[in-house]
Amino acid sequence: EKWAATRPKFPPTKLALQHFDATYSVQLGKLWPSVRVALLSERKYGALLNNFSHDGVLEDLQAQGCRDFISDKAEEAQPCLELSSEVESRRDCMSTNKSADNSQQLSSLQFSPNIKCLVFPRGDITRFKPAKPDTYGLLGYYLMDAASLLPCLALDVQEGHTVLDLCAAPGGKTLALHQMQIVRFLCVNDTSVSRTLRLKRVLHSYTPKELLTVEKLRITSFDGTKWGEIESNTFDRVLVDVPCTTDRHSVMEDDNNIFSKSRIGERRRLPQLQLELLLAGIEAACPGGEILYSTCTLSQSQNLAVVEQAIHLARQNHGIHLQVVGLRHLTQMFRNTFHFAPDLHLGEMVIPHLAANFGPIYMCKLKRLT
Amino acid sequence: TVQSLDRDPEHAHLSEKPASELSLSSLTDMGFTATQAEQLYEAVSSIRGRAAKHALSTLTVLFVLGLNPTSMMKVLEKCPELYTIKETQLQERINNLRKLGLVEGSLHRMVAHYPQILTLPVKTIKKGVTFFREKCLFTVQQVTNILRDSPAVMMEDHDQLEYKFQYVYFRMGVKQAEMVKCKLFRFTLDEVRYRHIFLERRGLYETPDKKGQTHIINPKLENILNANQETFLTYVARATAEEYEVFKKLVARELLQQEVQPGRIVAD
Ligand SMILES: C[S@@+](CC[C@H](N)C(=O)[O-])C[C@H]1O[C@@H](n2cnc3c(N)ncnc32)[C@H](O)[C@@H]1O
Repeated sequence: EKWAATRPKFPPTKLALQHFDATYSVQLGKLWPSVRVALLSERKYGALLNNFSHDGVLEDLQAQGCRDFISDKAEEAQPCLELSSEVESRRDCMSTNKSADNSQQLSSLQFSPNIKCLVFPRGDITRFKPAKPDTYGLLGYYLMDAASLLPCLALDVQEGHTVLDLCAAPGGKTLALHQMQIVRFLCVNDTSVSRTLRLKRVLHSYTPKELLTVEKLRITSFDGTKWGEIESNTFDRVLVDVPCTTDRHSVMEDDNNIFSKSRIGERRRLPQLQLELLLAGIEAACPGGEILYSTCTLSQSQNLAVVEQAIHLARQNHGIHLQVVGLRHLTQMFRNTFHFAPDLHLGEMVIPHLAANFGPIYMCKLKRLT
Repeated sequence: TVQSLDRDPEHAHLSEKPASELSLSSLTDMGFTATQAEQLYEAVSSIRGRAAKHALSTLTVLFVLGLNPTSMMKVLEKCPELYTIKETQLQERINNLRKLGLVEGSLHRMVAHYPQILTLPVKTIKKGVTFFREKCLFTVQQVTNILRDSPAVMMEDHDQLEYKFQYVYFRMGVKQAEMVKCKLFRFTLDEVRYRHIFLERRGLYETPDKKGQTHIINPKLENILNANQETFLTYVARATAEEYEVFKKLVARELLQQEVQPGRIVAD
């Protein structure tokens, strides 16, 4: 009786795993077993440090053996010259205009010193304790998948930029962008009202009130696919962090699982929704502006395929020409912290690995040429 | 001499004599070298009081069993408790093991390898045998083999043994015959679980359904257990040692938490 199967025969987690076994074993080949066992085992977190809290949190975490993976990369980073040639030779740009933009991108990639994310070393499975409020009631750090920070870093926000975070809740990436303290105006949106409320609570637990003013921040709950109609050609940077099959959640939790039978339709429509959101984000960017598309799935049809189609449709339907911006420099910088999928022909992807159990995170960066 | 003891069933009367009769010369007479005799003598004298009064009879019984002086030295070093057991008891325990199907060669090897088996009362062994027969449905011959290959199992807690058996039977879908063949009971539950769960999460092992069917071909229990870690990782799991080391830490923590909230242990 100890072994009686009390669960339904096909819980959503099992359906998800079956689906992934079928698709990812083809897509990832020999890598799949290693990714699979990581997905099914406890994930690692990173502690995004709250700059507005001053209770010696950094020192405390360092004493526990954590390190800031973002500043740590400096010693490992390769000289730019060597890299830019490598990037150019390896990356085949999707756009017609294959300009020498890469080298410029490389030298300009300076991260805000305000953003620190602490992680336990490779292979170390220590857990973070929940963050505690300081004397002002602000929490010391925000626990998130450390790989989720990469899209924010890749976005390469500069002083004075206006930024749109199109699908922002529950707000990990919003918080990271806000922590950088260089954005002139941050526009935060998520279609779900309840999740937007959660996002507001997150921001309030980490930020002094005086920094959450209407001049700097706007939080809305619109349908992101309509953004092009509302506010086009506007933002310097647009983050399009779309809803997806959330692979890790789908194989681990039966609650709120997109592989449950009742959500088959929703799951089938995901690529279309993702495409519409990315297209809306592209329209919302200003010419010369940059868009970062990201997901937390390994699925080709939700990642590369969506980006390819968006590039095609943006040109065809809106006359917008895009260029893919290589992110190989970023993966080079952080190759000691994350495992990246090798040889993706479009974008980069963090793949889970037991010793560095972050991700999956897919990201692809586009620049509006027109 | 040893030979004469070996052949003479009447030698048993020797044991009736008090331990004081155990002298260096009697030991060399039995075939021990001078050094061995000294070591033995010291070992016996260091066991205080009445406890060691059965030393001589114990030595005799072990000789009869076919152990030579060198292996006897090892046995007594591993398990000095044997000096303190009454001859009749010792003999009864040995007879019981014989009755369970352990023929001379294997009995000899078992005692040489695991002398602690003789410290167990006959009742304990009988209960153990009944457990394997009734709770796990092993055949008589299978139980003999389990006893021969992993005598230490008789010392283990039955609930935990049952858990291990059920784990392998239900979760891994392995039948009794195969369990015996791979000497399952030599391995700890954790050794079994770590390797199995690792394979399962890598997509290389699947619990068979009610009809015993799987979508993939599971590796044999033999290949999972009877391989050192390196071989297991290279040929069965096809993974790196780094992955497996981290994995074991993670699973150990998971299992610990499941013990706190046992509702989650379910066959997949
Ligand atoms: C992957 S989550 C975003 C995670 C978030 N960026 C973070 O870092 O915490 C995707 C979000 O998209 C939102 N979403 C779904 N459909 C949307 C739509 N049509 N417009 C805007 N947001 C949408 C969901 O409510 C969900 O919060």
